[in-house]
Amino acid sequence: MDATQGINVVAKSQSSPSRKRKKHDIAFMCWIPGLVLLGLMCLPEVVPAQEEMASSIRRYKAYEASTGYYEEYEVLPRRQRAILEVPGVTRGLFRYSPASAEIRIRSRLADSHRAIKFYKRRPCEDCHVEQTRDIHTVRANLTCRQCHGKEPIASIYHYYSPMNPIRKHAYVCSKCHEGASISYSSYLVHMPNPVTRSAKEGFPLLFYAVWIMIGIAVSPLAVFIPHSVMWGVREFFVKKDKDKVEHNKKD
Amino acid sequence: MSTIKKTRIIRFSPLQRLFHVLLMLSFLTQGATGLSRMYVETPWGRALGSVFGGYESALAVHKRVGIFMICGFMVHILYLLSKVNWRKFPRSLFEPDSLVPQPRDVKDFFRHVGWFVGLNKAPEFDRWGYWEKFDYWGVGWGIIILGGTGLMLSYPLIASRILPGWFLNIAFWIHRIEALLAMAHVFVIHFFIAHLRRHSFPMDRAMFEGSVDIEAARHEKPAWVARLEQTGKLEGVLVAETTSGLRALFYIFGLGAVATGVFLLIGGLLNSMSITW
Repeated sequence: MDATQGINVVAKSQSSPSRKRKKHDIAFMCWIPGLVLLGLMCLPEVVPAQEEMASSIRRYKAYEASTGYYEEYEVLPRRQRAILEVPGVTRGLFRYSPASAEIRIRSRLADSHRAIKFYKRRPCEDCHVEQTRDIHTVRANLTCRQCHGKEPIASIYHYYSPMNPIRKHAYVCSKCHEGASISYSSYLVHMPNPVTRSAKEGFPLLFYAVWIMIGIAVSPLAVFIPHSVMWGVREFFVKKDKDKVEHNKKD
Repeated sequence: MSTIKKTRIIRFSPLQRLFHVLLMLSFLTQGATGLSRMYVETPWGRALGSVFGGYESALAVHKRVGIFMICGFMVHILYLLSKVNWRKFPRSLFEPDSLVPQPRDVKDFFRHVGWFVGLNKAPEFDRWGYWEKFDYWGVGWGIIILGGTGLMLSYPLIASRILPGWFLNIAFWIHRIEALLAMAHVFVIHFFIAHLRRHSFPMDRAMFEGSVDIEAARHEKPAWVARLEQTGKLEGVLVAETTSGLRALFYIFGLGAVATGVFLLIGGLLNSMSITW
Protein backbone atom coordinates (compact mmCIF):
# COMPACT_ATOMS: atom_id res chain seq x y z
CA MET A 1 0.00 0.00 0.00
CA ASP A 2 1.75 3.15 -1.06
CA ALA A 3 0.83 6.80 -0.88
CA THR A 4 -0.90 7.11 -4.26
CA GLN A 5 -3.14 4.15 -3.59
CA GLY A 6 -4.10 5.67 -0.28
CA ILE A 7 -5.09 8.88 -1.97
CA ASN A 8 -7.12 6.99 -4.60
CA VAL A 9 -9.10 5.39 -1.82
CA VAL A 10 -9.81 8.83 -0.44
CA ALA A 11 -10.81 10.14 -3.85
CA LYS A 12 -13.34 7.34 -4.26
CA SER A 13 -14.90 8.07 -0.91
CA GLN A 14 -15.48 11.72 -1.81
CA SER A 15 -18.45 13.15 -3.65
CA SER A 16 -18.50 13.70 -7.41
CA PRO A 17 -17.70 17.43 -7.71
CA SER A 18 -14.51 16.98 -5.77
CA ARG A 19 -13.63 14.04 -8.00
CA LYS A 20 -14.00 16.35 -10.96
CA ARG A 21 -11.65 18.80 -9.33
CA LYS A 22 -9.18 15.97 -8.71
CA LYS A 23 -9.21 15.16 -12.43
CA HIS A 24 -8.57 18.80 -13.14
CA ASP A 25 -5.61 18.70 -10.76
CA ILE A 26 -4.07 15.76 -12.58
CA ALA A 27 -4.38 17.56 -15.91
CA PHE A 28 -2.69 20.55 -14.32
CA MET A 29 0.05 18.37 -12.92
CA CYS A 30 0.91 17.19 -16.41
CA TRP A 31 1.52 20.80 -17.35
CA ILE A 32 4.04 21.38 -14.58
CA PRO A 33 6.79 19.04 -15.82
CA GLY A 34 6.18 20.43 -19.30
CA LEU A 35 6.74 23.97 -18.10
CA VAL A 36 9.81 22.90 -16.14
CA LEU A 37 11.26 21.23 -19.25
CA LEU A 38 10.52 24.38 -21.25
CA GLY A 39 12.38 26.38 -18.62
CA LEU A 40 15.32 23.96 -18.82
CA MET A 41 15.53 24.50 -22.57
CA CYS A 42 15.96 28.21 -21.93
CA LEU A 43 19.12 27.58 -19.87
CA PRO A 44 22.21 29.34 -21.22
CA GLU A 45 24.81 27.47 -23.23
CA VAL A 46 27.65 25.94 -21.24
CA VAL A 47 30.67 28.21 -21.57
CA PRO A 48 33.72 28.70 -19.39
CA ALA A 49 33.22 31.52 -16.90
CA GLN A 50 33.62 34.72 -18.80
CA GLU A 51 36.00 36.49 -16.48
CA GLU A 52 38.79 34.03 -17.09
CA MET A 53 38.68 34.18 -20.89
CA ALA A 54 41.98 35.92 -21.53
CA SER A 55 43.12 34.77 -24.94
CA SER A 56 46.26 35.35 -26.92
CA ILE A 57 44.70 33.94 -30.09
CA ARG A 58 41.87 36.39 -30.47
CA ARG A 59 44.18 39.34 -29.90
CA TYR A 60 42.36 42.66 -30.33
CA LYS A 61 38.82 41.40 -30.64
CA ALA A 62 37.96 42.29 -27.05
CA TYR A 63 39.44 45.76 -27.40
CA GLU A 64 37.50 46.29 -30.62
CA ALA A 65 34.25 45.16 -29.09
CA SER A 66 34.70 47.60 -26.22
CA THR A 67 35.63 50.65 -28.28
CA GLY A 68 33.62 50.30 -31.45
CA TYR A 69 36.76 50.65 -33.62
CA TYR A 70 37.33 47.61 -35.79
CA GLU A 71 40.85 47.93 -37.21
CA GLU A 72 40.68 51.48 -38.54
CA TYR A 73 36.93 51.57 -39.11
CA GLU A 74 34.67 53.14 -36.59
CA VAL A 75 31.31 51.45 -36.23
CA LEU A 76 28.26 52.73 -34.42
CA PRO A 77 29.42 52.76 -30.80
CA ARG A 78 27.40 50.81 -28.34
CA ARG A 79 25.90 52.63 -25.43
CA GLN A 80 28.66 53.21 -22.89
CA ARG A 81 26.79 54.67 -19.95
CA ALA A 82 24.18 53.04 -17.77
CA ILE A 83 20.52 53.93 -18.34
CA LEU A 84 19.96 54.59 -14.64
CA GLU A 85 22.63 56.56 -12.84
CA VAL A 86 22.85 58.31 -9.53
CA PRO A 87 21.98 61.93 -10.32
CA GLY A 88 24.85 64.36 -10.02
CA VAL A 89 27.46 61.67 -9.56
CA THR A 90 29.69 61.30 -12.60
CA ARG A 91 33.06 60.80 -11.06
CA GLY A 92 34.26 60.83 -7.49
CA LEU A 93 31.65 58.54 -6.04
CA PHE A 94 34.55 56.73 -4.45
CA ARG A 95 36.20 59.77 -3.04
CA TYR A 96 39.52 59.30 -1.40
CA SER A 97 39.70 59.38 2.32
CA PRO A 98 41.41 62.39 3.92
CA ALA A 99 44.25 60.08 4.89
CA SER A 100 45.01 59.36 1.27
CA ALA A 101 46.30 62.77 0.29
CA GLU A 102 49.43 60.99 -0.83
CA ILE A 103 47.48 59.14 -3.49
CA ARG A 104 45.55 62.23 -4.49
CA ILE A 105 48.74 64.11 -5.09
CA ARG A 106 50.21 61.26 -7.07
CA SER A 107 47.12 60.55 -9.16
CA ARG A 108 48.19 62.54 -12.23
CA LEU A 109 51.83 61.60 -12.68
CA ALA A 110 53.38 59.82 -15.61
CA ASP A 111 55.31 57.68 -13.13
CA SER A 112 53.19 57.37 -10.05
CA HIS A 113 56.04 55.91 -7.99
CA ARG A 114 58.49 58.66 -8.82
CA ALA A 115 61.06 59.32 -6.13
CA ILE A 116 59.94 56.58 -3.77
CA LYS A 117 62.97 55.26 -1.95
CA PHE A 118 64.18 51.77 -2.82
CA TYR A 119 61.15 51.41 -5.09
CA LYS A 120 62.84 48.87 -7.38
CA ARG A 121 63.46 46.44 -4.56
CA ARG A 122 60.08 46.53 -2.96
CA PRO A 123 57.12 44.30 -3.89
CA CYS A 124 53.79 46.06 -4.50
CA GLU A 125 52.10 44.60 -1.41
CA ASP A 126 54.66 46.30 0.84
CA CYS A 127 52.53 49.42 0.54
CA HIS A 128 49.34 48.27 -1.20
CA VAL A 129 48.24 45.64 1.30
CA GLU A 130 44.53 46.46 1.03
CA GLN A 131 44.72 46.09 -2.74
CA THR A 132 45.67 42.43 -2.46
CA ARG A 133 42.38 41.48 -0.77
CA ASP A 134 39.84 41.34 -3.56
CA ILE A 135 38.38 38.72 -5.84
CA HIS A 136 40.56 39.61 -8.81
CA THR A 137 43.71 39.02 -6.77
CA VAL A 138 42.66 36.29 -4.37
CA ARG A 139 40.47 34.14 -6.59
CA ALA A 140 41.39 34.88 -10.20
CA ASN A 141 45.07 35.02 -9.12
CA LEU A 142 45.79 38.11 -11.18
CA THR A 143 49.09 39.82 -10.50
CA CYS A 144 49.28 43.60 -10.17
CA ARG A 145 51.08 43.95 -13.46
CA GLN A 146 48.47 42.10 -15.46
CA CYS A 147 46.25 45.17 -15.11
CA HIS A 148 48.57 47.99 -14.10
CA GLY A 149 51.26 47.17 -16.66
CA LYS A 150 55.00 47.42 -16.58
CA GLU A 151 57.22 50.22 -15.26
CA PRO A 152 56.75 53.09 -15.18
CA ILE A 153 53.19 52.72 -13.91
CA ALA A 154 51.28 55.86 -14.76
CA SER A 155 48.90 57.42 -12.24
CA ILE A 156 45.28 56.51 -12.83
CA TYR A 157 44.30 60.04 -13.89
CA HIS A 158 47.32 60.72 -16.05
CA TYR A 159 45.99 61.54 -19.47
CA TYR A 160 47.76 58.71 -21.32
CA SER A 161 47.35 56.14 -18.57
CA PRO A 162 45.54 52.96 -19.60
CA MET A 163 43.87 53.18 -16.19
CA ASN A 164 42.32 56.56 -16.98
CA PRO A 165 38.54 56.09 -16.74
CA ILE A 166 38.14 57.36 -20.30
CA ARG A 167 39.85 54.26 -21.67
CA LYS A 168 40.12 51.79 -18.78
CA HIS A 169 37.23 49.70 -20.09
CA ALA A 170 38.96 49.17 -23.42
CA TYR A 171 42.58 48.92 -22.33
CA VAL A 172 42.27 47.03 -19.07
CA CYS A 173 38.85 45.48 -18.38
CA SER A 174 38.28 44.16 -21.87
CA LYS A 175 41.44 42.07 -21.76
CA CYS A 176 39.28 39.54 -19.94
CA HIS A 177 35.75 41.00 -19.99
CA GLU A 178 35.11 41.28 -23.69
CA GLY A 179 32.73 44.12 -24.52
CA ALA A 180 33.22 46.02 -21.25
CA SER A 181 31.70 49.50 -21.33
CA ILE A 182 32.54 52.64 -19.34
CA SER A 183 29.66 51.87 -17.04
CA TYR A 184 30.95 48.32 -16.59
CA SER A 185 34.44 49.57 -15.77
CA SER A 186 33.14 51.61 -12.87
CA TYR A 187 33.03 48.31 -10.94
CA LEU A 188 35.41 48.88 -8.05
CA VAL A 189 38.07 46.17 -8.33
CA HIS A 190 39.85 47.01 -5.07
CA MET A 191 36.64 46.91 -3.05
CA PRO A 192 37.07 48.03 0.56
CA ASN A 193 35.79 45.71 3.28
CA PRO A 194 32.19 46.96 3.25
CA VAL A 195 31.63 46.95 7.02
CA THR A 196 34.56 49.22 7.82
CA ARG A 197 34.72 52.97 8.24
CA SER A 198 36.96 53.29 5.19
CA ALA A 199 34.07 51.87 3.15
CA LYS A 200 31.73 54.43 4.68
CA GLU A 201 34.02 57.17 3.42
CA GLY A 202 35.00 55.62 0.12
CA PHE A 203 31.89 53.75 -1.01
CA PRO A 204 28.96 54.85 1.18
CA LEU A 205 26.29 53.05 -0.84
CA LEU A 206 28.03 49.72 -0.40
CA PHE A 207 28.51 50.40 3.30
CA TYR A 208 24.83 51.14 3.94
CA ALA A 209 23.53 48.38 1.67
CA VAL A 210 25.66 45.79 3.43
CA TRP A 211 24.71 46.94 6.92
CA ILE A 212 21.01 46.91 6.00
CA MET A 213 21.43 43.39 4.63
CA ILE A 214 23.23 42.29 7.79
CA GLY A 215 20.33 43.69 9.81
CA ILE A 216 17.83 41.82 7.66
CA ALA A 217 19.86 38.63 7.98
CA VAL A 218 20.63 38.75 11.68
CA SER A 219 17.22 39.78 13.04
CA PRO A 220 15.28 36.62 12.06
CA LEU A 221 18.16 34.47 13.28
CA ALA A 222 18.30 36.43 16.53
CA VAL A 223 14.61 35.70 17.04
CA PHE A 224 14.40 32.13 15.79
CA ILE A 225 17.58 30.61 17.24
CA PRO A 226 16.67 31.32 20.90
CA HIS A 227 13.06 30.52 20.01
CA SER A 228 13.98 27.10 18.66
CA VAL A 229 16.29 26.30 21.55
CA MET A 230 13.58 27.18 24.07
CA TRP A 231 11.04 25.16 22.11
CA GLY A 232 13.35 22.16 22.02
CA VAL A 233 13.94 22.36 25.74
CA ARG A 234 10.25 22.88 26.53
CA GLU A 235 9.22 19.80 24.56
CA PHE A 236 11.22 17.60 26.88
CA PHE A 237 8.82 18.52 29.67
CA VAL A 238 5.65 17.65 27.74
CA LYS A 239 3.79 14.57 28.86
CA LYS A 240 2.25 13.53 25.59
CA ASP A 241 -0.37 11.17 26.94
CA LYS A 242 -1.59 13.52 29.61
CA ASP A 243 -2.04 16.33 27.10
CA LYS A 244 -3.98 14.05 24.81
CA VAL A 245 -6.37 13.09 27.57
CA GLU A 246 -6.90 16.73 28.44
CA HIS A 247 -7.65 17.51 24.83
CA ASN A 248 -10.15 14.70 24.48
CA LYS A 249 -11.90 15.85 27.63
CA LYS A 250 -12.37 19.26 26.07
CA ASP A 251 -13.95 17.71 22.98
CA MET B 1 -11.36 -0.28 2.60
CA SER B 2 -11.63 -1.06 6.24
CA THR B 3 -8.75 -3.55 6.07
CA ILE B 4 -6.19 -0.73 6.16
CA LYS B 5 -5.94 1.39 9.23
CA LYS B 6 -6.14 5.02 8.19
CA THR B 7 -4.25 6.92 10.82
CA ARG B 8 -2.81 9.85 8.91
CA ILE B 9 -4.19 13.18 7.68
CA ILE B 10 -3.25 14.46 4.24
CA ARG B 11 -1.14 17.59 4.58
CA PHE B 12 0.68 18.07 1.26
CA SER B 13 -0.33 17.18 -2.30
CA PRO B 14 2.08 15.18 -4.49
CA LEU B 15 2.81 18.33 -6.47
CA GLN B 16 3.70 20.29 -3.34
CA ARG B 17 6.00 17.47 -2.28
CA LEU B 18 7.64 17.52 -5.71
CA PHE B 19 8.23 21.26 -5.34
CA HIS B 20 9.87 20.65 -1.98
CA VAL B 21 12.14 17.88 -3.27
CA LEU B 22 13.26 20.01 -6.22
CA LEU B 23 13.84 22.94 -3.90
CA MET B 24 15.89 20.76 -1.52
CA LEU B 25 18.11 19.44 -4.28
CA SER B 26 18.65 22.78 -5.97
CA PHE B 27 19.17 24.64 -2.68
CA LEU B 28 21.83 22.18 -1.52
CA THR B 29 23.54 22.34 -4.92
CA GLN B 30 23.55 26.13 -4.81
CA GLY B 31 24.86 26.09 -1.27
CA ALA B 32 27.66 23.65 -2.09
CA THR B 33 28.74 25.32 -5.34
CA GLY B 34 28.49 28.80 -3.86
CA LEU B 35 30.48 27.90 -0.75
CA SER B 36 33.05 26.03 -2.83
CA ARG B 37 33.77 29.30 -4.64
CA MET B 38 33.64 31.46 -1.53
CA TYR B 39 36.05 29.10 0.26
CA VAL B 40 38.37 28.39 -2.66
CA GLU B 41 41.31 29.68 -0.63
CA THR B 42 40.90 26.78 1.82
CA PRO B 43 41.46 23.04 1.21
CA TRP B 44 37.86 22.44 2.34
CA GLY B 45 36.51 24.76 -0.35
CA ARG B 46 38.70 23.23 -3.04
CA ALA B 47 37.60 19.72 -2.06
CA LEU B 48 33.99 20.85 -2.21
CA GLY B 49 34.55 22.43 -5.61
CA SER B 50 36.20 19.28 -6.98
CA VAL B 51 32.85 17.50 -6.56
CA PHE B 52 31.50 19.81 -9.26
CA GLY B 53 34.64 19.68 -11.41
CA GLY B 54 36.56 22.60 -9.95
CA TYR B 55 36.26 26.32 -9.49
CA GLU B 56 35.11 27.11 -13.02
CA SER B 57 32.53 24.43 -13.53
CA ALA B 58 31.14 24.99 -10.04
CA LEU B 59 30.11 28.41 -11.33
CA ALA B 60 28.60 26.89 -14.47
CA VAL B 61 26.55 24.53 -12.28
CA HIS B 62 25.64 27.38 -9.92
CA LYS B 63 24.31 29.55 -12.77
CA ARG B 64 22.29 26.76 -14.38
CA VAL B 65 20.74 25.59 -11.13
CA GLY B 66 20.03 29.22 -10.25
CA ILE B 67 18.12 29.70 -13.49
CA PHE B 68 16.32 26.43 -12.83
CA MET B 69 15.27 27.79 -9.43
CA ILE B 70 13.98 31.00 -10.99
CA CYS B 71 11.97 28.89 -13.47
CA GLY B 72 10.65 26.81 -10.58
CA PHE B 73 9.70 29.97 -8.73
CA MET B 74 7.71 31.21 -11.74
CA VAL B 75 6.01 27.83 -12.13
CA HIS B 76 5.15 28.00 -8.44
CA ILE B 77 3.55 31.43 -8.91
CA LEU B 78 1.40 29.98 -11.72
CA TYR B 79 0.51 27.13 -9.39
CA LEU B 80 -0.48 29.59 -6.67
CA LEU B 81 -2.66 31.54 -9.08
CA SER B 82 -4.41 28.32 -10.04
CA LYS B 83 -4.95 27.43 -6.36
CA VAL B 84 -6.42 30.72 -5.14
CA ASN B 85 -10.15 30.60 -4.61
CA TRP B 86 -11.00 33.49 -6.94
CA ARG B 87 -14.73 33.36 -6.26
CA LYS B 88 -14.29 34.47 -2.67
CA PHE B 89 -11.06 36.24 -3.56
CA PRO B 90 -10.01 38.70 -0.94
CA ARG B 91 -11.49 36.72 1.93
CA SER B 92 -10.26 33.34 0.72
CA LEU B 93 -6.67 34.44 1.35
CA PHE B 94 -7.34 34.65 5.07
CA GLU B 95 -8.92 31.25 5.55
CA PRO B 96 -7.16 28.93 8.00
CA ASP B 97 -5.88 26.71 5.16
CA SER B 98 -4.10 29.68 3.60
CA LEU B 99 -0.42 30.40 4.13
CA VAL B 100 -0.98 34.16 4.17
CA PRO B 101 0.25 35.62 7.48
CA GLN B 102 -2.54 36.87 9.71
CA PRO B 103 -2.72 38.83 12.97
CA ARG B 104 -3.44 35.52 14.65
CA ASP B 105 0.10 34.35 13.80
CA VAL B 106 1.68 37.19 15.75
CA LYS B 107 -0.51 36.36 18.71
CA ASP B 108 0.34 32.67 18.35
CA PHE B 109 4.04 33.49 18.30
CA PHE B 110 3.91 35.37 21.59
CA ARG B 111 1.68 32.79 23.22
CA HIS B 112 4.01 30.04 22.00
CA VAL B 113 7.00 31.83 23.54
CA GLY B 114 4.92 32.30 26.67
CA TRP B 115 4.38 28.55 26.74
CA PHE B 116 8.16 27.94 26.44
CA VAL B 117 8.75 29.91 29.61
CA GLY B 118 5.68 28.58 31.39
CA LEU B 119 3.50 31.70 31.37
CA ASN B 120 0.44 30.23 29.67
CA LYS B 121 -0.94 27.13 27.91
CA ALA B 122 0.28 26.28 24.43
CA PRO B 123 -1.64 28.05 21.64
CA GLU B 124 -3.92 25.86 19.53
CA PHE B 125 -2.37 26.00 16.07
CA ASP B 126 -4.43 25.56 12.95
CA ARG B 127 -3.06 23.95 9.80
CA TRP B 128 0.02 26.18 9.45
CA GLY B 129 2.11 27.36 12.37
CA TYR B 130 3.73 30.79 12.14
CA TRP B 131 7.17 29.16 11.76
CA GLU B 132 5.93 27.20 8.75
CA LYS B 133 4.53 30.36 7.16
CA PHE B 134 7.84 32.10 7.80
CA ASP B 135 9.75 29.27 6.11
CA TYR B 136 7.40 29.37 3.13
CA TRP B 137 7.59 33.12 2.50
CA GLY B 138 11.30 33.18 3.29
CA VAL B 139 11.96 31.03 0.22
CA GLY B 140 10.11 33.50 -2.01
CA TRP B 141 12.00 36.45 -0.53
CA GLY B 142 15.30 34.59 -0.90
CA ILE B 143 14.71 33.67 -4.53
CA ILE B 144 13.78 37.24 -5.43
CA ILE B 145 16.88 38.71 -3.77
CA LEU B 146 19.33 35.96 -4.73
CA GLY B 147 17.86 35.48 -8.19
CA GLY B 148 17.89 39.21 -8.92
CA THR B 149 21.46 39.80 -7.80
CA GLY B 150 22.53 36.46 -9.26
CA LEU B 151 21.22 37.42 -12.69
CA MET B 152 23.04 40.76 -12.45
CA LEU B 153 26.29 38.99 -11.63
CA SER B 154 25.83 36.31 -14.31
CA TYR B 155 25.19 38.86 -17.03
CA PRO B 156 27.34 41.80 -15.89
CA LEU B 157 27.62 43.41 -19.33
CA ILE B 158 23.86 43.65 -19.68
CA ALA B 159 23.41 44.65 -16.03
CA SER B 160 25.92 47.49 -16.39
CA ARG B 161 24.00 48.83 -19.38
CA ILE B 162 21.03 49.41 -17.09
CA LEU B 163 22.76 50.26 -13.82
CA PRO B 164 26.22 51.70 -13.17
CA GLY B 165 28.90 49.01 -12.98
CA TRP B 166 29.62 49.71 -9.32
CA PHE B 167 26.18 48.30 -8.52
CA LEU B 168 27.80 44.91 -9.14
CA ASN B 169 29.95 45.49 -6.06
CA ILE B 170 26.76 45.93 -4.06
CA ALA B 171 24.97 43.05 -5.79
CA PHE B 172 27.86 40.74 -4.95
CA TRP B 173 27.63 41.52 -1.24
CA ILE B 174 23.84 41.36 -1.11
CA HIS B 175 24.01 37.96 -2.83
CA ARG B 176 26.59 36.74 -0.34
CA ILE B 177 24.83 37.92 2.83
CA GLU B 178 21.40 36.73 1.70
CA ALA B 179 22.85 33.33 0.79
CA LEU B 180 24.51 32.99 4.18
CA LEU B 181 21.25 33.95 5.88
CA ALA B 182 19.30 31.41 3.84
CA MET B 183 21.75 28.63 4.64
CA ALA B 184 21.92 29.54 8.32
CA HIS B 185 18.13 29.55 8.50
CA VAL B 186 17.67 26.21 6.75
CA PHE B 187 20.62 24.36 8.25
CA VAL B 188 19.99 25.56 11.80
CA ILE B 189 16.36 26.53 12.36
CA HIS B 190 14.47 24.55 9.73
CA PHE B 191 16.47 21.40 10.45
CA PHE B 192 16.01 21.86 14.17
CA ILE B 193 12.25 22.25 13.95
CA ALA B 194 11.70 19.46 11.43
CA HIS B 195 14.24 16.97 12.75
CA LEU B 196 15.78 17.58 16.13
CA ARG B 197 13.03 18.62 18.50
CA ARG B 198 11.30 15.84 20.33
CA HIS B 199 8.00 16.08 18.47
CA SER B 200 9.56 15.32 15.09
CA PHE B 201 12.77 13.46 15.97
CA PRO B 202 14.47 12.03 13.90
CA MET B 203 12.48 13.37 10.99
CA ASP B 204 9.07 14.84 10.24
CA ARG B 205 7.96 12.73 7.27
CA ALA B 206 5.03 15.00 6.38
CA MET B 207 6.78 16.68 3.46
CA PHE B 208 7.76 13.37 1.86
CA GLU B 209 4.86 11.12 2.74
CA GLY B 210 2.31 13.91 2.37
CA SER B 211 0.50 13.07 5.59
CA VAL B 212 0.88 13.38 9.35
CA ASP B 213 -0.11 11.01 12.10
CA ILE B 214 -3.49 12.04 13.45
CA GLU B 215 -2.47 11.75 17.10
CA ALA B 216 0.64 13.85 16.49
CA ALA B 217 -1.47 16.42 14.65
CA ARG B 218 -4.03 16.47 17.43
CA HIS B 219 -1.16 17.26 19.72
CA GLU B 220 0.57 19.97 17.69
CA LYS B 221 -2.22 21.39 15.49
CA PRO B 222 -5.35 20.84 17.64
CA ALA B 223 -7.38 23.60 15.96
CA TRP B 224 -6.79 22.04 12.55
CA VAL B 225 -7.99 18.58 13.55
CA ALA B 226 -10.91 20.05 15.48
CA ARG B 227 -11.92 22.10 12.43
CA LEU B 228 -11.77 19.00 10.22
CA GLU B 229 -13.87 17.08 12.72
CA GLN B 230 -16.45 19.84 13.07
CA THR B 231 -16.93 20.29 9.34
CA GLY B 232 -17.02 16.52 8.85
CA LYS B 233 -14.11 16.56 6.45
CA LEU B 234 -11.82 14.41 8.58
CA GLU B 235 -12.89 11.07 7.04
CA GLY B 236 -12.16 12.43 3.57
CA VAL B 237 -8.55 13.37 4.31
CA LEU B 238 -7.51 10.24 6.21
CA VAL B 239 -4.98 7.91 4.61
CA ALA B 240 -2.99 4.89 5.68
CA GLU B 241 0.73 4.86 6.34
CA THR B 242 2.99 4.05 3.37
CA THR B 243 5.03 0.91 3.01
CA SER B 244 8.08 0.49 5.18
CA GLY B 245 10.28 0.52 2.06
CA LEU B 246 9.11 3.98 1.07
CA ARG B 247 9.43 5.16 4.63
CA ALA B 248 13.05 3.98 4.68
CA LEU B 249 13.63 5.87 1.44
CA PHE B 250 12.18 9.03 2.95
CA TYR B 251 14.46 8.74 5.95
CA ILE B 252 17.55 8.12 3.84
CA PHE B 253 16.78 11.03 1.54
CA GLY B 254 15.79 13.48 4.27
CA LEU B 255 18.61 12.63 6.63
CA GLY B 256 21.05 12.67 3.71
CA ALA B 257 19.98 16.25 3.04
CA VAL B 258 20.45 17.08 6.72
CA ALA B 259 23.92 15.56 6.68
CA THR B 260 24.85 17.60 3.61
CA GLY B 261 23.53 20.78 5.16
CA VAL B 262 25.29 20.21 8.47
CA PHE B 263 28.52 19.41 6.61
CA LEU B 264 28.29 22.74 4.77
CA LEU B 265 27.40 24.59 7.97
CA ILE B 266 30.25 23.17 10.06
CA GLY B 267 32.81 23.41 7.26
CA GLY B 268 31.77 26.97 6.56
CA LEU B 269 31.99 28.00 10.19
CA LEU B 270 35.33 26.27 10.82
CA ASN B 271 36.95 27.80 7.75
CA SER B 272 35.34 31.22 8.01
CA MET B 273 38.46 32.73 9.54
CA SER B 274 40.80 31.62 6.78
CA ILE B 275 39.17 33.31 3.80
CA THR B 276 39.39 36.86 2.52
CA TRP B 277 36.08 38.50 3.27
